[in-house]
Formats: sequence, C-alpha cells, structure tokens
Amino acid sequence: MQASRARLFKEYKEVQREKTADPDIQLVCDDTNIFKWTALIKGPSETPYEGGVFQLAFAVPEQYPLQPPQVRFLTKIFHPNVHFKTGEICLDILKNAWSPAWTLQSVCRAIIALMAHPEPDSPLNCDSGNLLRSGDLRGYQSMARMYTRLAAMPKKG
Amino acid sequence: MMVVAVEIEAMEVAVPAIMGGGGKVTASVYYLIFVSFDFLRLEQLFWCSVQLVQELILEPEPLSALSAEYQSGSPVLQEKIKVLGEIYAAIRRTRGDGNCFFRCFMFSYLEYILESQDKAEVDRITANVEQCKKTLQSLGYADFTFEDFFALFLEQLESVLQGNETSISHDELVRRSRDQSVSDYVVMFFRFVTSGEIRRRSEFFEPFILGLSSTTVEQFCKTSVEPMGEESDHVHITALSDALGVPIRVMYLDRSSCDSNGVSVNHHDFIPAVSDLQGTTKSDSDLVKPFITLLYRPGHYDILYAK
Repeated sequence: MQASRARLFKEYKEVQREKTADPDIQLVCDDTNIFKWTALIKGPSETPYEGGVFQLAFAVPEQYPLQPPQVRFLTKIFHPNVHFKTGEICLDILKNAWSPAWTLQSVCRAIIALMAHPEPDSPLNCDSGNLLRSGDLRGYQSMARMYTRLAAMPKKG
Repeated sequence: MMVVAVEIEAMEVAVPAIMGGGGKVTASVYYLIFVSFDFLRLEQLFWCSVQLVQELILEPEPLSALSAEYQSGSPVLQEKIKVLGEIYAAIRRTRGDGNCFFRCFMFSYLEYILESQDKAEVDRITANVEQCKKTLQSLGYADFTFEDFFALFLEQLESVLQGNETSISHDELVRRSRDQSVSDYVVMFFRFVTSGEIRRRSEFFEPFILGLSSTTVEQFCKTSVEPMGEESDHVHITALSDALGVPIRVMYLDRSSCDSNGVSVNHHDFIPAVSDLQGTTKSDSDLVKPFITLLYRPGHYDILYAK
C-alpha cells in the first residue's frame, strides 16, 4: 500500500512536469484518491477515431506496480478489443504481459497504439472483430467513425 | 433440486504434517443449502474446502525427501538422486509460480552473504548494481519505474551484514523471503537487471532468443523477462549472472542418461563474462567457483545445499 502510493506520487509529479510532452494524452489524478485516475486521449490520426477525444478510467490496485491498473473506456468506442458496453480493454500489458516498467502514461500510449492497430483475432467486440476479419474494412471504419462522432466529439450548436 | 453455496469464512492455517507441513493453506468454510423442490424442504450442511497455498520458500529437507518423491518413478532419476546425495545434503523447495529461479537466487545469495559476512563481495555486487542502474537509464527507462526495486534489494543486502542497527537474523531472512511485499520486489529487481543486460548486449543474446521465441530482443524482454511469473531460461540465467557478476551452478535432474559409464548428473556453471570494467579489479580464482547451486527439474528450480 505504502509502496504503491509512493510510486503513484512519483508518477503524479512526472505527469505534472511533462504535461506538454505528449499533447495526445491528458492524465489527471482524482483530487482525493491517488488510486483513481482519468485520462483524455486523442484518437490517432488516419484512423476512424481521428478527431475524437476518449476518456479512460483507471483503478489502481494496492499491489501496483507489481499488478497492472484496471483501465476502461468511459467514452463509447467501436473497436474489436474494447467491450462495447463496459469499455473493458483487451490488451496483453494490462494482463499477463504487465510489468512495473510500464507507467500510467505509457499505458495510455499503448492504448492509442491499440486504437490504430486493432487485433481482430482476440475480440471483445465481436461485431467489430468480424467486420475486420471478413475483410470489410469499409464497414468497420464507417461504424467506428460514426461512434467517434456520436460519442467522442463535442456536440455542435 | 438446487444447491446454493455460500462461503462464510476463509482462513489461513498452517499445513498439517500429514500434508507435508511447512506451508500455509487457505481453508474455506462453505455453507451449502440444498433446496429440494419435491418436498419443499431445506437441508443445510457445512462444507469445508482446503486449498493448498505453498510458501514461497520452504524449509530445507534432506535429499532423501527427494528420492521419496521418485520412489516409484524412473530408475534413471532414482540413480541420479543417489549421485546428488553424495555431494548435496539438503534441498530447499520454492513455490512454482514462474519466479522460482529468481526467488532461489535471491534467497541463496542473501543467505550466503549472511553466513559468510563477505564484505568484499557486497562491495563488488553493489558496484555492479550501480552499473545495472546506468544500463537501464541509458536504455531509456525512467528512474521512478525501477528505483524502488533497486533500493529494496540494496536494503536487504545491507541488512544481512551483521553489526548494524538494521541487521537481521536468518529467521528474519526466511520471513522476508516469504513476505510477498519484499520477496516479489526483489524478484522484480532481478527481472529489471536481467532485462537491462539482455538489451545492453542484444547482439550477443539475439541468436539465443531467436531460437527460443522468434521475436526481437526487445519484445522478448517485454514479454518474457520483465513480467512477473514468466519462467526463466538459459538466457535469463546467463544475463543475471553476467550483470551481477555472480556465478551460478545448475544441476539438471532429467531423464537424459548419457552412456554406459554409469549415471552422472549433468550440470552447467554460469560463470560471469569478465566485464571490461571489473576485469582488472578482481581475478581471483575463487570468484569463478559458484556458491549458489540450484536444482533444475524441467520447469522448476529449487536450492541445493552442499554437504
């Protein structure tokens, strides 16, 4: 508990110091609980998520950093490796490939990379996975783009 | 009929001697409710389930405990255990959680320092640890990702040296090695060191890694070295031994039998490559004699104690 708190505090300071280093990620710690974080990430360019801003929720366990944070999308997203209803993310580094060398910041970068490079063979969203696996890139992109517009962009007017 | 099971209590109790002793078990008491629709009757009973959770590091056992294990097994193995019994007095088992090599190394090394009080060795490894830190920094690791693990190892190292306020006894070393919050941090320290060494000398390790997993060196470190619970191979042992400058002997207990000249037990000595930095300072011949001996059985490492 003490160790995880100390580590998170270091990450907090690092985030404050490097605030401008990565303009695609805005990582914020809860005011009252250092084990709760949220992040705003920009959809990567040349993907159907471009132009969208996606919110992630982090729940950090007491055994952090020996155990990975739990991360999920709060913003609705149509992606093969993200559960459409719960926002749960299927990503190896959040499970068995986790190591303390990762940080909350680098997890955000990995999630952005996952958005750009979906893995349709281990889908959490089967509809999305099936579109990609059957080669219907256009179908996948238009669905993903539609949800980006509906959920991840500011409403006009 | 319907059965409802409700866990009402879970407790940790010592392993009864009949189950081997020395460990801890989690015992769960379940409350089972049978609902029978025929008679609209409720039957209730208690159910106790016991789950064995082995300690991370067990107490040493005489080698005869090992032969007992293979009593009805392969004759080659039985012969090999006899040969081992001539040189080694005891075995200390570790939990098979994928970290057993690192855990064995941790305990063996700290125990050696505790017993030998070899101050020169402590100074030597401390210099190597400092070097490992620089390696990670030059590979682009942020300090805060690894420094806690380094600090915890150095703390253990200091505390096994006697005569300080923070000095610990052998019992305390065993206790800490079983305490996940200390033990896992030290294991993770070794994983960082191993990963750094493999990446620093990626040209040397690349062919071995390609043979193992056909991935890049960096990918291998990310998926097979740094994550907890990933098992260790020749590559890991070589890298750790080189990085820290600590020789390791591994005795192989497997079914391979070589020839007609009787049974022998294969072993491999991991002797640290003389690094350019340390080469001039220490070249005693006793440096190349491993004081850590591990027993390898396919998929698992335990600690061996010489007679």
